[in-house]
Amino acid sequence: MISLKESESLLDLEPRFADSFCSLQAMPQLPKGMLKETKSAIALARKFSNEVIKPVALEIDRNAHADPEYLPWDLVKKANEWGFYTMFIPRLFGGQGVNMPAASYVIEELSSACVGIANVVFVHYLGVAGILASGNISLANRVFREVAEGEKKGKPCIISLAITEPNAGTDVEENELVDRARLNCYAEKVKGGYIVNGSKIFISMGHVSTWCCLIAYTDLKKPSENTVTFAVKTGTKGFTFGKHEDKMGQKACPASELIFEDCFIPDEYVLADSRTFQSSKKRSTKALVEQYIHYVVEVTRPAVGAFGTGVARGAYETALKFASETEVGGKLLINHEWVQAMLADMYKNVILGRLSYVEANYANGLSGGIYHLLQLKLLYYYLKYVPRVILDRLVNPFLNTKMARWLFHKFLVEAQSIEEQRRVSGWASLAKIVGTDMGVKNSQMALEMMGQAGLRHDRGAEKFLRDSKLLQIYEGTNQLNRINLFANLIGRSFNQVRVFEE
Amino acid sequence: MLTIIKNELKSFEDLARNFATKELMPNRRTNDRYPFGAFYDEVLTKANDVGLFGVTLPEDCGGIGQGIAALSVILENLSAVDASLAGIIFTNVMAQEIMFSAGGKNFLCNIVGHNTDVHTALIAFQVYLNPAEIKPSLEAIKNKDGYILNGKIEYVVLGGIARHALVPAYIKGNDGYTFFLIDLTDKGLTKSEPIFSLGLHACPAVDLTLVNTRATLIGKEGDGARHFEQASDRMCSAVAAMQCGIMKGAFQEALSYSQERFQGGWEIINWSALRMLLANMAVQVKIAEMVVAATALAVEQQHPQWEKSARAAALHLSELACKLTTDGIQVLGGNGYMKDYGQEKRFRDAKQVQALLGLVPMRKLNMIGAVINPKMQ
Repeated sequence: MISLKESESLLDLEPRFADSFCSLQAMPQLPKGMLKETKSAIALARKFSNEVIKPVALEIDRNAHADPEYLPWDLVKKANEWGFYTMFIPRLFGGQGVNMPAASYVIEELSSACVGIANVVFVHYLGVAGILASGNISLANRVFREVAEGEKKGKPCIISLAITEPNAGTDVEENELVDRARLNCYAEKVKGGYIVNGSKIFISMGHVSTWCCLIAYTDLKKPSENTVTFAVKTGTKGFTFGKHEDKMGQKACPASELIFEDCFIPDEYVLADSRTFQSSKKRSTKALVEQYIHYVVEVTRPAVGAFGTGVARGAYETALKFASETEVGGKLLINHEWVQAMLADMYKNVILGRLSYVEANYANGLSGGIYHLLQLKLLYYYLKYVPRVILDRLVNPFLNTKMARWLFHKFLVEAQSIEEQRRVSGWASLAKIVGTDMGVKNSQMALEMMGQAGLRHDRGAEKFLRDSKLLQIYEGTNQLNRINLFANLIGRSFNQVRVFEE
Repeated sequence: MLTIIKNELKSFEDLARNFATKELMPNRRTNDRYPFGAFYDEVLTKANDVGLFGVTLPEDCGGIGQGIAALSVILENLSAVDASLAGIIFTNVMAQEIMFSAGGKNFLCNIVGHNTDVHTALIAFQVYLNPAEIKPSLEAIKNKDGYILNGKIEYVVLGGIARHALVPAYIKGNDGYTFFLIDLTDKGLTKSEPIFSLGLHACPAVDLTLVNTRATLIGKEGDGARHFEQASDRMCSAVAAMQCGIMKGAFQEALSYSQERFQGGWEIINWSALRMLLANMAVQVKIAEMVVAATALAVEQQHPQWEKSARAAALHLSELACKLTTDGIQVLGGNGYMKDYGQEKRFRDAKQVQALLGLVPMRKLNMIGAVINPKMQ
């Protein structure tokens, strides 16, 4: 028979068990409450899709074409009323505390109706992830509680994340490249804070956000070790909005230019400055910055995969409906065998996209993943059922202590091994590539099946194609994500491998 | 295009290229805003003045009297800059081809020949539909004065700007459909607002509702499918030419951008994965050029089985163009998705052009049908 040691050694061969069967490993550890919670979240998302998104999606898209300066204030207000902006913020920080992986399922639901509007809801969580991954729970607590307050008062408070610059897109997503980038967003340390100059572009929901999680650099020549992240409030002196981009699709969700001119940001709004990171035995400062960026994209890339899956599903559902109602060559399209084969392919594409983002979520729930702590049964049930008043009065003050910060640092930074970081990062890229490629693919297939009808805006199909293309670009182009997948789950086994070195 | 074609048709290539550079390029983005912006009437007038709407019209009808090869050269060069005008020309020629096929040359010459008014020079047509696939919704009734049409017809390209439209309709008791010409100023006809579409925004379409609208029979009753197929096969080479032009435009913009944009410390063209994208695009463009030239020759010279060559060319280049324009955006990253550049428009236009002449899968099935049973041609 096989000894335990031999078994472990065999399972460590490629494909490594630990990286290949994330769901199998994660599921036995998950609290059962997550299932019920997830079902409720999906049901609510379907209701929101049916009652809010579907009736207006095409009209908003058309209006935004007619008026490229359109901003989705009404949608933001609706999403706020429905509680979407606090839904996945932990109760610890004043949110509803629905488990974070459930967000992916909600994203798929909303995106199957309109991915532009799904972005109006979920770009906010890109900002949430940026703030949470910084480990500055004191400032996170302050900003997130403002979001909760905004929900109560009917004054939406949402968060955007600003990283892309006019001359640096791919470079800022990858710490290996950032030192070669042509950056402009410079943060100079001054007494009591920082003065920021520069600009950011393509910032989703920039114009309508209250807070911006801003990534800037204290040394533009060596940004990989000199990255600083701020929480900046709209209206801060020296922070203005520039161009509102005219995009091909996802018209409901604005992409903004953010301009910083001698913008003073006090120290209290610094989420993290890499120069003051606590030293780590496992990672250099550069590696710590990379870990931070990866923590963010490990959450957001599977989410984009879910956006893509939702689009793939919307396109499939539109084509299915058309095929079931339209006669071609004297019989219903749905009764042509070639159509049945196409619909089966489209259905398969949706499932592949979904399986990919779900598996990435499970990877995030394993040890070393950002969801792991909150999915520990004891903590999960405590945070779920402890009365809010206790959280607010007893736990909340603790979040502002050094001890709390130290604990979060231990969990976020030290507890994650390099191998665990590779697993979640690789899966995040894989989920992003698969989901978004499926979104584009199904949109193309829907148009081919629908012909003339598919071209018309009022029939809904062409919008899926326009919307889907952006998904292959943002959150790291699919080309960058392929290299990241290679580096983390393939190339790691070969010492001679070098990436980003041509 | 092959050298022989290139030499013979150089003047048409120059004409189209110069027209595109001078008249289309400067306002491409503005023109693409239609129906939310103004329609480029003045460009159409200029296109009419230089004869772009009469390329295949016989000289005795006031046209230039050229064949499919000249048309392909023109469409390819226009589409490299902006495919919308090529879409207008395509629609007009498709309608003309059907009328020729149905023996309506004299009639056609009477209504469009020697016309200086661009609107009269154009004939609207349902160019994204093969009427044999989806039963026409118009019904024709014969009376003592001729025919009247009733019903609603969707997505009539140029229906909002042309004076006449060629439309398919059913006559009770007939198996097949029949083509009729209608005057779009007829009192019994109402037009929808311009339809907002995926691509070719400046080649607009409308829905038409006809109530006792007078119509002129084109060809014989029930003979529409035969004329459509004949015209469609010839025009497949024009589809291929448009896609080739779109591909060339997308490749050129991607190539230029990749030599200017820096990422990772040098121009992005130096990254081999991106260079591979460009390499694939370059291969596809070269193949497209060869396919367009060979198809135009085959159609022009009526090679054996030219119909199959033309159908295959349209289908294959449409697939290539949709793939290439997707990569064309990808090379430009976020910029490629924005209207400041031309890539997003080409991505939309390629998918729109792919839908010309009917459902893609049905066209593929027709292709194999013709291979199995040559009589189907």
